Amino acid sequence: MGLVLLFNAFNGLIQGAFYALMALGLALILGLNNTINFAQGAFMALAAYFAFTIVPYVGFWGALIIAPLLAGAIGLVVEVALVRRLYSRKDPIYSLLLTFGLAFIIQDLIRTIWGAQGVPLAIPGFLDHPLSNTYFFLTGYRLFVVAVALIGTAALFAVLRFTRIGIRIRAGNSDLETISALGVNIYLLRSANFVIGIIFAGVAGILAAGQLGLNPNMGDTLIMPAFVAIVVGGVGSLVGSLLGGLIIGLASGITTAFFPAASEVVIYVIMGIMLVVRPRGLMGQEGLFE
Amino acid sequence: MSLLVLENVGRRFGALQALSGISLSVEPGELRAVIGPNGAGKTTLFNLISGFFPPTDGTIIFENKPITAVNPTALVRRGIIRTFQITEIFLALTVQENLRIAVETAMGINLRPWISAATRAAVTRRVEDLADTVRMSAKMHRIAGELAHGDQRVVEIGIVLAKSPKLLLLDEPTAGMGDEETNHMTDLIRRLNKDQGITMLFVEHDMAIVFGIADRITVLDNGRMLAEGNAAEIAGNPRVQTAYLGQAA
Repeated sequence: MGLVLLFNAFNGLIQGAFYALMALGLALILGLNNTINFAQGAFMALAAYFAFTIVPYVGFWGALIIAPLLAGAIGLVVEVALVRRLYSRKDPIYSLLLTFGLAFIIQDLIRTIWGAQGVPLAIPGFLDHPLSNTYFFLTGYRLFVVAVALIGTAALFAVLRFTRIGIRIRAGNSDLETISALGVNIYLLRSANFVIGIIFAGVAGILAAGQLGLNPNMGDTLIMPAFVAIVVGGVGSLVGSLLGGLIIGLASGITTAFFPAASEVVIYVIMGIMLVVRPRGLMGQEGLFE
Repeated sequence: MSLLVLENVGRRFGALQALSGISLSVEPGELRAVIGPNGAGKTTLFNLISGFFPPTDGTIIFENKPITAVNPTALVRRGIIRTFQITEIFLALTVQENLRIAVETAMGINLRPWISAATRAAVTRRVEDLADTVRMSAKMHRIAGELAHGDQRVVEIGIVLAKSPKLLLLDEPTAGMGDEETNHMTDLIRRLNKDQGITMLFVEHDMAIVFGIADRITVLDNGRMLAEGNAAEIAGNPRVQTAYLGQAA
């Protein structure tokens, strides 16, 4: 039982790392772009398919870097052509509908280009083996996923803490009018922020594809937990989104050990409890849902 | 030569004549207070000078050039900088980050991905200078939102100083402050004026401050200029006394 629990808890943490990566991208875009990006899952699938196509030419490692950037480039086009037009509308329903539609369009594009059948994403052989016979679930790939999630998160926080663009993104989250009045080009800033969010979705998508394979709807199964992570962690807090992702992943994993049928519903139960007990989430600003 | 001259300036909003017949001149290095009862037109006057909207009558001249129809952003570049009644700083950022954004913006290196080590050092030095000027060096790494109101307003002054103002417009700089904070702010205003030679116009309700630090005082009432002069002249002016007593009664 102990080993099974450990296995499921570890699995849950890996899942949580996915959720956290997804949630960070979503939270960034929700913050500065003021957009609930329902297409985040579709962008995730898109990056994974890009990786699938370019792996034969640049290898897995090259694809892990290039494919999210390609998805980011598509994200830039989408932001400039579509999302940007809705910034002036205060009601989030407009951008929500837009990105909801975008999600379907991107999914169907993927289906048209790559086919509806699932395909596997080849990962380097040495990542595929268990590291120990007793702890058979500790495959190299799983540790690799956790490592990438850690590095990605650390890189994001370093960018936000130390770089000019990162400080301005945080300043814009705090007060967009003042940062604009100071002479910062907020259109450029918001575009950059959107692209960073999509790149995060892309990295998460490729990591997921290496584990679960590719299919056009792969984003659907991961985007809802990412939203749950944001609500649990607290809207407006990136650290909160990170914690939220890890917590619901871990909870889902541990539940699997005892009652597998409830492993998916448990994250929504956690969200429900959080909304009743502490509507602002773990680290959110006061008053958003209160 | 005067730094700022208003010639018979007026502003009408529909049927409301908010300001009319305002003529005044501010000399370089002057510390000028603008006082008057609520609704006298003080904030409207600031909005006209900083270009938020143009006057409907008259001319505004800054450094011998008319600025009557120049937009606020261009005026900021020319050196006319203002603060508002509400504090405009980034509450989620540290004092240092607030100042850093202001300095980088003023140096034109907003979103440039790469800058030289020398530029980076210049930014750091300027940020430290500003923090020192506003006496916030010890609180550099505090989150602005966690500071006392008085400290937040002082940080705001630091931010506007990054733009190297020639004419600084302060709208109620000590509003909502306790005694100690007020002393700190008036001391800062005086130092910026005397040590750095920044010409300032400030709106203030606290008469002790106005009479204590202003070189000259402009009194507005009901959109018109009631009086202008030094502290002794204004204090002894019967029309000013009537305006204030009339409002109190």
